[in-house]
Amino acid sequence: MDVRLGAALLRVPGLLCLVHAMARIGAEQEVENLSGLSTSPEKDIFVVRDNGTTCLMAEFAAKLMIPYDVSASNYVDLITEEAEIPLARGAEVRGKCGTTESELQISWLDKVYTLKLYFVKEGHNTTKRQEAVWKMNKIQFVYDSSERTYFKDAVNPGKHTANSHHLSALLTPAGKSYECQAQQTISLITSDHQRTVTLLLSEVRIQPFDISADFVFSEEHKCPVDEREQLEETLPLILGLILGLMIVITICIYHIHHKLTANQVQLPRDRSQYKHMG
Amino acid sequence: MATLIRSKLSNVATSVSNKSQAKVSGMFARMGFQAATDEEAVGFVHCDDLDMEHRQGLQMDILKSDASEEGAEPPLEGDIHYQRDGTGPLPPSASKDEGICSELSSQAKPKITAWEAGWNVTNAIQGMFVLGLPYAILHGGYLGLFLIIFAAVVCCYTGKILIACLYEENEDGEIVRVRDSYVDIANACCAPRFPKLGGRIVNVAQIIELVMTCILYVVVSGNLMYNSFPNLPVSQKSWSIIATAVLLPCAFLKNLKAVSKFSLLCTLAHFVINILVIAYCLSRARDWAWDKVKFYIDVKKFPISIGIIVFSYTSQIFLPSLEGNMQHPKEFHCMMNWTHIAACILKGLFALVAYLTWADETKEVITDNLPSTIRAVVNLFLVSKALLSYPLPFFAAVEVLEKSLFQDGNRAVFPNCYGGDGRIKSWGLALRCALVVFTLLMAIYVPHFALLMGLTGSLTGAGLCFLLPSLFHLKLLWRKLMWHHVFFDVAIFVIGGICSVSGFIHSLEGLIEAYGSNIED
Repeated sequence: MDVRLGAALLRVPGLLCLVHAMARIGAEQEVENLSGLSTSPEKDIFVVRDNGTTCLMAEFAAKLMIPYDVSASNYVDLITEEAEIPLARGAEVRGKCGTTESELQISWLDKVYTLKLYFVKEGHNTTKRQEAVWKMNKIQFVYDSSERTYFKDAVNPGKHTANSHHLSALLTPAGKSYECQAQQTISLITSDHQRTVTLLLSEVRIQPFDISADFVFSEEHKCPVDEREQLEETLPLILGLILGLMIVITICIYHIHHKLTANQVQLPRDRSQYKHMG
Repeated sequence: MATLIRSKLSNVATSVSNKSQAKVSGMFARMGFQAATDEEAVGFVHCDDLDMEHRQGLQMDILKSDASEEGAEPPLEGDIHYQRDGTGPLPPSASKDEGICSELSSQAKPKITAWEAGWNVTNAIQGMFVLGLPYAILHGGYLGLFLIIFAAVVCCYTGKILIACLYEENEDGEIVRVRDSYVDIANACCAPRFPKLGGRIVNVAQIIELVMTCILYVVVSGNLMYNSFPNLPVSQKSWSIIATAVLLPCAFLKNLKAVSKFSLLCTLAHFVINILVIAYCLSRARDWAWDKVKFYIDVKKFPISIGIIVFSYTSQIFLPSLEGNMQHPKEFHCMMNWTHIAACILKGLFALVAYLTWADETKEVITDNLPSTIRAVVNLFLVSKALLSYPLPFFAAVEVLEKSLFQDGNRAVFPNCYGGDGRIKSWGLALRCALVVFTLLMAIYVPHFALLMGLTGSLTGAGLCFLLPSLFHLKLLWRKLMWHHVFFDVAIFVIGGICSVSGFIHSLEGLIEAYGSNIED
């Protein structure tokens, strides 16, 4: 089932700019190509390392649906087609890690397509205590519609950028990784006539901050859809157990009742009346 | 001349007295034989009650047919076996025995009225498939309507001839009930060469059909509840388990009277559903598309619709035991007529009116076309209808299983489920609960159950409803049939065969397609 996260949920306060300026560690950051480790063919793993330790780890399967114009058979009208662009295996990965900001950049097909994911960590002041959460607050996708593999005969080909607006996705408490097996949909607005590009993310496991050990995800925080599915799966077992118990109790009660009331029945043993059969 | 007559008379008298003496002594021999066994208590009670009937000179089984059987059997005398002269000994009809034995050892099972039998038949013939009828009209047009009426007529006829097979004419010219169940009829037909084969086949077919029907009701109720409340985290499996928990009291059903009450409620729920949908369709009567009812048929899709229409009238499995439990069996024909007329009118009206309202947009299940408020109410009534329909096939399945597998003596594999006072034993109750749980497990774990049911239904359903009744009727009552009866029977056999084969092929295609797409996923 699709889970739509895209619609403008929360307004990101303007502290974004301040955070950008403050905590940026721009040191050398290595990346690893770990696509062979992924468990499913569409999923890909991206790791950004900094000073010998992992600072950002992400694995997900992504697909982008981009509308573009194609001229119709009469050479006058324009038809809107949709290109389906999967994340290629062995894509180039670049990233920046910081204490409150992280960025992951994935490019493939010779930098024709580039997907940039921006994460930010914030602290909320709730009534009881201070909670820190991190989230993905911006996505940028750069594509070129003159590229022939996915775009067939696009009219007015050229480079376009699709940006997210007021995005606040993958909300997770700080120190935990985000996990969601269900498919999520995020909408981006493109510079090409303000059309909507859809990013489909599934089998997501991301941790952009506070990775304790090398290549090790911290404790996962599940998305609500997954939790609901888990509940849906455990409920039949619970109900089945209750049903089994009901049956056992019913049969026991019946058995006891049967034994207690069985003495009242007597089969006729007096056969003196039956001697006149001749 | 007078001496001739006198000698003839004396000859006749001696032969008659010899015969009756032989019978009486045979009876005594059997009784003395039984006195030595443990069945004596029940046997003597039995004998006493039937003593009067003995004295009225009813024929009895020839002793040797019993002696060839195993020893410790409950008594077989009395009104058990009526044979036509010259047809040879029939295999002992086991069903009549334990029917009488269990009747006497418990209170006699209450008989049902004709109305209650009617509710049961209506429960069987007006099932969940009525929701697919407008879709059948979409693809079949007027032929579909005609088929609804025709199928009702045919099924009414086959039901009546099936019950006619239970009766035979005895030497006094009276029609008496010699057989008790479908199994008995099958055994009687295969009598000379394969005395048990026919009964075994019919038993297996009956059990399959009845258990599949039970499973279908669980599947349907789970599915309907799931579709009615998609926002709850309760999956279809969970709803099926909840439905089974509600159906668990069915394990305590003892006789047809209790089942008839459930069938009455089920029929009421069905009427409410019909009224709701028809009222809604009438409210849109201005937009009815009278011109869209087709005269031609859609050859690819219609055969499935034929299956839905034709096999929805299947009630023959229940008829022998219903008729046997009626207070006035003479009202049976009247009851069959009225129930089938009512079903035919209601189904035809429903299908036509629903089709006219939505024409080309008619979906496979008509509730998908309804607006959501009415759909929610209709769904609720459909769930209650499914749950209330469950007791009848469940009770019939339990009866069939108990008669074939759980009898005293060496007739069956397991001992009797009922204790001496007629109450069910605890392990018998446990087995009934196990059957309910079995239907639940099949409902949860078998995918595409509706297609599977279409597959088995086209074999067992068609067999039990069209092929076998006409076959048995021809075989057993051949001498008494008039030419038009023979013609009808042969025609029904042929048509039933065609429907069965076509249904089988299409269900198989549908199943292969469904499993193929499953594997692809």
